[in-house]
Amino acid sequence: MQNLNHLTRESLTELESAPRTASRIIIDYIICLMPVVFGCLAVAEYIFVPNLSGNVSTNSYIYFLCVLILLAVTFFIASLFSKKAFLILRYKAPFYAFVFILLTLYDYMTLKTGRLVLPYFPWADQILNAMWDDRAYLLDCACNSLKLLFSGYFSGAILGLITGTACGCSKTADYWISPFMKLVGAIPSPTWIPIVMVIASTLFSGAVFIIALGVWYSLTIATMTGIRNIDRSFYDAAKTLGAGRTQLVFHVALPFAVPNILQGLTQGMSSACLVLITAEMVGVESGLGWYVSWQKSWAQYGKMYAAIVVLCVVFVVVNRGLEAIRRRLLRWQEGLV
Amino acid sequence: MNVLELNHVYKSFARSDSNGVTQAVSDINFSVNDGEFLSIVGPSGCGKSTIMRLIAGLIFPTAGTITLNGEIIKGTDTERGMVFQKPTLFLWLTVEENLNFTATMKKQRHNPDYMAEAERLLELAGLSEFRHDFPHQLSGGMAQRLALIRTMINHPKVFLLDEPLGALDAFTRMNMQDEILKLWQRSKHIVLMVTHDIDEAIYLGTRIIVMAPRPGRIRADLRNDMPYPRARTSDEFLQWRKKVLELLNFGQTIN
Repeated sequence: MQNLNHLTRESLTELESAPRTASRIIIDYIICLMPVVFGCLAVAEYIFVPNLSGNVSTNSYIYFLCVLILLAVTFFIASLFSKKAFLILRYKAPFYAFVFILLTLYDYMTLKTGRLVLPYFPWADQILNAMWDDRAYLLDCACNSLKLLFSGYFSGAILGLITGTACGCSKTADYWISPFMKLVGAIPSPTWIPIVMVIASTLFSGAVFIIALGVWYSLTIATMTGIRNIDRSFYDAAKTLGAGRTQLVFHVALPFAVPNILQGLTQGMSSACLVLITAEMVGVESGLGWYVSWQKSWAQYGKMYAAIVVLCVVFVVVNRGLEAIRRRLLRWQEGLV
Repeated sequence: MNVLELNHVYKSFARSDSNGVTQAVSDINFSVNDGEFLSIVGPSGCGKSTIMRLIAGLIFPTAGTITLNGEIIKGTDTERGMVFQKPTLFLWLTVEENLNFTATMKKQRHNPDYMAEAERLLELAGLSEFRHDFPHQLSGGMAQRLALIRTMINHPKVFLLDEPLGALDAFTRMNMQDEILKLWQRSKHIVLMVTHDIDEAIYLGTRIIVMAPRPGRIRADLRNDMPYPRARTSDEFLQWRKKVLELLNFGQTIN
């Protein structure tokens, strides 16, 4: 008999789920192998289906697919040794396979048959080559974008946290600040771009200001709401336990508002990304948004898509980071972890 | 020797729905000494909780004075600890951090005396192995025990219990009553406990104050000299029950 006092989460799930039959196990492993299979099919399609006459292609796309397939194979091998890896792969594998199918379909529609026409729909191979050829410049643009994004984001977030806390905890602060919040809140932040671009000393500082404005707004509202929703009994308890007025703010009000604040940070990030790209397309002469509109005006759609792909990757990474912070900070919330 | 005195205490609240004023408690007079366990019993709306909050210093009397050892109460202080009906644990702090809240506020977190006391109380409440858990992981009884020791760690001169067992099931409740008794017998400080459970009031209190509603006022202030531990089924206990029920105008229903 297994020792029931020392169960891990995994062994408990395994113990309580119905025993898997041999055929079920085989099907599970086939599913786990699907990404590799469809990856190989994608390569085969690229090599063996003839291109539409006039369309040229290189081997970059094959290298790219091979890297993805290699990852899928590594994951599969890991799943043979680790129960955890197996469960994750079993869950994700169908979607990974679907991604390969989408890539194959897109390749077929562009390079092979030309159903989706140039120059608006370059094939993946072209995008990859554009990305590789212009890598130094793209990286530079990405860095500039990130610099702008984070300067605006953090200054806005810190100011928002301060004004939000002030409004939430003090009636006087609320009296003076709230009317402006209502005014500013009604206007989408990109509206400010033309005005600020004229007034600001440099385009960079102007863009920082507009990004910060949007983030400041969502964080102020979020912090204020979080603090106002607090159950008065927490204050009562803290007071009888010896907390002073400042301590009530830092040890009760703010920790209680953390879920709202994090929500505000996420919301602020999406508004910041939006404003960033808009500002770069309109005024700032560097960064990924600028690169996209610049390449578009030269009808370089391959390069334009390359920049868009980089943009996606950057934003996904940033949001993943934010989510990780959220999970770490909200361990105390029921049902989140 | 600590003495808590209430002299002609009145408290009114402005009503939120009209311009009127509701009188919550009216002309409350009593004095409690060290070693007394005061049970305050009465129907809802008789201002029991208002009295607790007044003594805690969370609100202030409209008229009259409340003094502890001759000094007028001007606000909250850890010498008057309060446990609420809801455990009011800080959800974002672990069991241990909740217990050490006051220590953190007073920057005494690493004081060895305080740490030893925290350890002792965790052990006493049977929460040692849950020290790193968050409040949502605790059962109702565990949460309320934590709320009790969180206040107790400050060794309050006056221990205010505002229906702390109201939300618990009958069995947990009876066990907790014994635990509260034990804790009080060890410290012998002043305990005031609000309840609407008559059995609880008789089982615990050395004195029982029976209140009447609208406006809240004291109907009777009785000494209860039954020796501890008290048997809930003894004749004397049942006599007490009858007396209190009659004072609350429920006497006729039990013959």
